[in-house]
Amino acid sequence: MALRSLIRHETFLALLLVIVLFVLSQQSDRFFTVGNLLNQGRLMTEVGLIAIAMTFVIATGGIDLSVGSILGLSAILTGVFWQNAGLPLPFAAAGAIAVGTLAGFANGVIITRFRVPPLIATLATLALYRGLAEGISQARSVRGYPEWFYLLGQRDVLGVPTQLWILILAAVVASIILAYTTWGRTVYAVGSNEVASRFSGLAVEKTKLALYTASGFAASVAAVIFVSRVSTTRSDMGSGIELDAITAVVLGGTSIFGGRGTIVGTMIGLCLIQALKNGLSLAGVKGDGTIMLIGAVLILAILASNLFERSGTRT
Amino acid sequence: MTAMVDLPPVRSRTGLQRQGFIRRLFSEYGQEIIVLSAILVLFVVVTLINPRFISANNLTTIFSGNAYIAVAAIGMAMIIVTGHIDVSVGALIGVLATISGTLAVAGYPIWFAWLAPVVVGMAINAVIGILVAYARIPSIVVTLGALSILRGGLISVTGGTWITDLPPDFLIAQKRLLGFPVPLLVMVALTVLAALWMRYTAFGRSLYAIGGNAEAALATGIPIARRTVAVFAIHGAFAGLATILFATQLQVIQSTVPPNLELTVITAAVIGGVSILGGTGTVIGSTLATILFATIGSALIFVNVSAYWLRAVIGLLILATVLADMLRRRGRG
Amino acid sequence: MSDTTPYVSLKGMSKSFIGIKVLKDVDFDVRPGEVHALLGENGAGKSTLIKMMSGLYTPDAGTFTVGGEEVKFSSTRDAAAKGIATVYQELLLFPELSVAENVFLGNYPRTAAGIIDWAEVRRRTRDLLDQLDSPELDGDAKVLTLSVAQRQRVEIAKALSKDARILIMDEPTASLVESDVQRLMEVVRQLRARGVGIVYVSHRLPEIFALADRVTVLRDGAHVATRNIEEVDEQQLVSMMVGRPIDSLFPKAEAKIGEPVLEVKSLNHGRQVRDISFTLRRGEILGIAGLVGSGRTELALTLFGMTPATSGEILMEGRPVRITSPRQARDLGIAYVPEDRGLQGLVKAMAIRKNVSMATMERLSSGIFIKAGAEARRALEAVKRLSIRCRDIAQPVGELSGGNQQKVVIAKWLETVPKVLILDEPTRGVDVGAKAEIHTIMGELVKQGVAILMISSELPEVLGMSDRILVMSGGGITGEIDRTEATPERVGAAMTAHRNGIEEAVR
Repeated sequence: MALRSLIRHETFLALLLVIVLFVLSQQSDRFFTVGNLLNQGRLMTEVGLIAIAMTFVIATGGIDLSVGSILGLSAILTGVFWQNAGLPLPFAAAGAIAVGTLAGFANGVIITRFRVPPLIATLATLALYRGLAEGISQARSVRGYPEWFYLLGQRDVLGVPTQLWILILAAVVASIILAYTTWGRTVYAVGSNEVASRFSGLAVEKTKLALYTASGFAASVAAVIFVSRVSTTRSDMGSGIELDAITAVVLGGTSIFGGRGTIVGTMIGLCLIQALKNGLSLAGVKGDGTIMLIGAVLILAILASNLFERSGTRT
Repeated sequence: MTAMVDLPPVRSRTGLQRQGFIRRLFSEYGQEIIVLSAILVLFVVVTLINPRFISANNLTTIFSGNAYIAVAAIGMAMIIVTGHIDVSVGALIGVLATISGTLAVAGYPIWFAWLAPVVVGMAINAVIGILVAYARIPSIVVTLGALSILRGGLISVTGGTWITDLPPDFLIAQKRLLGFPVPLLVMVALTVLAALWMRYTAFGRSLYAIGGNAEAALATGIPIARRTVAVFAIHGAFAGLATILFATQLQVIQSTVPPNLELTVITAAVIGGVSILGGTGTVIGSTLATILFATIGSALIFVNVSAYWLRAVIGLLILATVLADMLRRRGRG
Repeated sequence: MSDTTPYVSLKGMSKSFIGIKVLKDVDFDVRPGEVHALLGENGAGKSTLIKMMSGLYTPDAGTFTVGGEEVKFSSTRDAAAKGIATVYQELLLFPELSVAENVFLGNYPRTAAGIIDWAEVRRRTRDLLDQLDSPELDGDAKVLTLSVAQRQRVEIAKALSKDARILIMDEPTASLVESDVQRLMEVVRQLRARGVGIVYVSHRLPEIFALADRVTVLRDGAHVATRNIEEVDEQQLVSMMVGRPIDSLFPKAEAKIGEPVLEVKSLNHGRQVRDISFTLRRGEILGIAGLVGSGRTELALTLFGMTPATSGEILMEGRPVRITSPRQARDLGIAYVPEDRGLQGLVKAMAIRKNVSMATMERLSSGIFIKAGAEARRALEAVKRLSIRCRDIAQPVGELSGGNQQKVVIAKWLETVPKVLILDEPTRGVDVGAKAEIHTIMGELVKQGVAILMISSELPEVLGMSDRILVMSGGGITGEIDRTEATPERVGAAMTAHRNGIEEAVR
C-alpha cells in the first residue's frame, strides 16, 4: 500500500511536470530550448545537492534547517582560506568543505547525543553558523578567483554545465543507496519506527549522525559551486535555501513524518520548481510571482496526495 | 466518610510532598525565572562596564524596538503549545504592514488602517488552520507554502517599493503614553492579558491539553479541530497587532521584514520555555526571551563586540540554552 | 445493591470496522450500585463495547438506553453528560499538567466572571483525593512525577468530579503491584456502596470473584453469557471465554534439556533488576512470572543490551560477555521478541519481507547492497514455516492480524538463528488459534536446542509451557519452581509474598 501510494504520488508529479513544461513552452519560444534548459540545470544544482541530502534526513523523520547557513559559512571560508590564509584554492575549497561537514557533524551530535529535537537543534545552529559567517567575513567579499575555478560553476563539460554532472552523479548514487542498500533500508526503518529499529539491532544513532554530517557536506559542496558560479563570496549566501530544498523534498512525496520518500521524487519536485520559476519569468511574470505559485503548488500537491491516500485501502 | 479498612501507610515519594508557594513557582515557571535572572545579571554586568547601557535612550531601543517581536511570539507560543509550528509569520507581518500602510496613505481612517492587519491576519491564518486541522497537512508544510505565497505575493505586488508619506497620527509606535513608549505598554498589556487567558480560561487550558496528549484531549471531549483553527486565527490576530507596532516605527514601510524574523519569533517562544513537542510553556516566557535577545544584542554593542559577531554570539547563546534545557529535562526523567 | 433496574442498558449492539464485525448483537446492562465484570480474551470485543458506552464509537445497530431514555452519543461529552465516565487502561492524562488540572480539565469550576477558579479547583481536588483515601497525593504535583497507581487514582478522581453514575474501568489492575491492587479494590467497593455502577473489565479471575456482583463473558465479538457471580466457578468462566476446555491449550513438547547456554550471576540494573542469578539450558523453556512492574521486562532489556547491566556477570556458553547494545546481543545469539509489538517489534508501514530481514540485513547483503532475491526467499520460507497468513510478502505488516504480526516478529528473530530466545508476552493480543500455533513453534524450537526465556502475565501459559518457573517481584527473584511442583497457588504466592521483604531489604 505504501509503495503503491508512493508510485502514485510520483506519477502524479511527473504528469504535472509534463503539463507545466508543455504550457510553459507555449508561453515563450525561448523556454523549451536546449540552452535554456541546461542553464536551468546549472541554476538548480545547489538546491538540488542540498535537497538530496535533505531527502534522507526527512525520511528519517528529522529536518535540517541549518543548511543555508552552512552554505554561507563554507562560501566565506573558501574565500578567506584562499585570500587571507594564502592556501592554494583547491586546498581552500577542501578546507571549507571540511568545516561545513564538521558543522553538519555537530548538528548530528547535538541531535543524537543530547536528544535535542532536530527542528530546534538546527534552528539554533542556523543562527550560529550564519553568525560565524558574518563574523568571519566582516562584510567583505572575496573576488578575483583564477580562471580555472570557474570551470566548476560557469563552464560546460561535454556540452553540459559542469555542476549539472555533479548533481546527476549525486542523484544516481543517492537513489541507489536509498533504494538498494542496508543504509537506505535503515533510513526508512528509522523514519517509520525508530524504537522498533533500535530493538532490531539497527545502528539508529550512527545512521542519523552520518546523515546530518552528509547534509553539511552537501551544503558545503554546494557552497563551492555557488562561489564558482557567481564569482564572489558573501556572508548571506544560501539564506533561505533550506526552505527551497525542503519544498522540493516534500513536493517530491517524502513524508515530513519520515519513513517515505525517494530521490526520484525529490528531483522531479526540484525540476518542477525550477521550470515554474524560469518559465513564468520568460512569460513575463515577475520572479516573485513564481515564488507565490510554488507555495501554492506545494500545498495543493500535498493536499491532492493526502486525498489520494485516504481514498486508498488504509487500515 | 464510612469506616475504612486500614491500608498500609504509603511512603511519600520525592516531588509529592505538598509544595510551598516558592517551590510551586519554580516548578511551574522555572524557565521564565531563569530567563528573567539572565536579563537582570546581564543588565548589572553591562551597566558596570558601560553605564550608558541603562540610559533612557538605550532602554527604549531595547524594549520598544523589539516589542513587535514579543507580540508575535505570544501567538507563536500558543501555536507551539498546541503542538504546531508556523514558519510564515515573518512574511505575514510583511504583507500586513504593506496593507496597513497602503490604507493609511490612501486616506482611510487611521483606526481602519490599524484594524485591517488584525482582521486580515486572522483570516489568512484561519485558512492555514483549516488546512492543518481538516485537510490534515502538517503545519510545517502548510506554513512553508504560505511563506512562499506571502513573500512572493508581497514583492510582486509592491515591486519592492517603500511606502512613504505616512500620516503622523498613524505612527503609534513613536508615541508615548503616561511617559512610556506605546510599544512597551502594548507588549506588557498583551503579555499579561494572554497569560491570564491561557491560565484562567477553559479555552486557554485546552491548548495545553491538545499539545500535551491529543488522544486524551479527544477522550475528554475537547473539539480539537475547531480549537486548532481558532488558535491559528488568534495567532494571526497577534501577528496583526505586531504588524501595527512594526509598521509604525519609522516614517516609511519597507516591503521587507528583518531576515529570519519567523525564526527569531520561534526561538523566542522556545527559549522562553515552550516545549517544541507541545503541551508546556507560557507567553510570559516568550516575552522575557524576546527581551533577553534584545538585551544581549544591545549589550554586545556596549561591550564593544563587533556588530558582525552579534549573530554568532546570539546563536551560541541559543544553542547553550537549548542544551541546558534538554539536560534539565533529562535530569527530571 | 437493592436497585435492580439497570441505569445503562445496551441491546443488540453491533459494530464493524472496515467490513470486519467486531461486535455482534451484544446485550449488556449495568445497575446502580453493582460491579459488573466484563470478561473475554483479547479481541473479544470488550474494548469496543466500552468505547461505545463512553461515546468514542457509535454503534452500527442496537439500542442504547441510559436512565430509561434512548441515547445516541456522538462524543465523550455526551456520555459524560449522562454520568458515564471511563478510566482507560492507557490512562489518558496530561503528564505536564498538575493533578488538579487533570481532574478538572474540560470541566472547570468558574467564578462569577466566568474565569477558572483555581482555588476552587485545588480545594475540590483535595476533597476528591481525600475521598479516595489518597492524602499523599498533591494536587499541584505534575502528573509525570506520579506512579501508575497514583495516576489511576487521578483518573478515578476525574470521573468522580463529573458525578459519574457509571464508572467503566478498563483493566485497572493490569499494571499495579499487589498492595496497590488491594487499595484499588477497596476504592471500588466504596464507590459501589455509594451507588455508583461499575463496569469492571479484567481477565484476572480472582479479582472478579472478589469484587463482582455479576459477570458477562464475550467471545469473538458475541455475547456468551451473563451470570450472577455465585452461579459460576473459575473453570466455567475460562471455558466460556476460550470456547473449549483449557487443557488442550498448551501442547508442551518434551525436549532434551542440555548444557547451560546462558548463565546470569548477580545481575543489576537500577532499581528494577536486582541481584538476578539463573541458568538457562539448551532445549529448556524457562518461564518468568511476576506482576507488571516486577522487573521482568527490565531484566529482558538488560540481557538484550537496551539498558546495559550496571554490575553482575553474564556468561554465554561459559564465556563471560558484556552486552551493551541490541546489536551486540544479536551477534552473541540472543534474540528478544518485545512486549509492545506495535512500538518495539514491527515497522508496520513496511512489507513483511523487509520486517523479516530487519535483524539480518548484513547477512543478506553483499557489501552494502541488499540481495533482494535472497531476502524474498528467506521471507517466503518464514511465511510458510510459521504459517503467516498474508496476501504476499510485499504486504505491509500493519495490515495483518495481531497473531500474524507476532509471527512476523518471531520470524525476524529466528532469522538470526538465536541460541537464546527471549519472548516477552508472546501471546498478548493474539487470538486463540494463533496462540496455540505460537506455542507449537516454541515447542519445535526447543526440540532444535534453542533455549527460551518466556515472560508472561498469563499464569496458565507460564504453568503450561515452562520447564521451570522463575518468579520475580520488586526487581528480584522470589521463587524458582520446577514444572512438576508448580501450582497456581505456589507461583501466585511467590509473586506477592516476598515483595515487602525485598523492599525492606534493599531500602
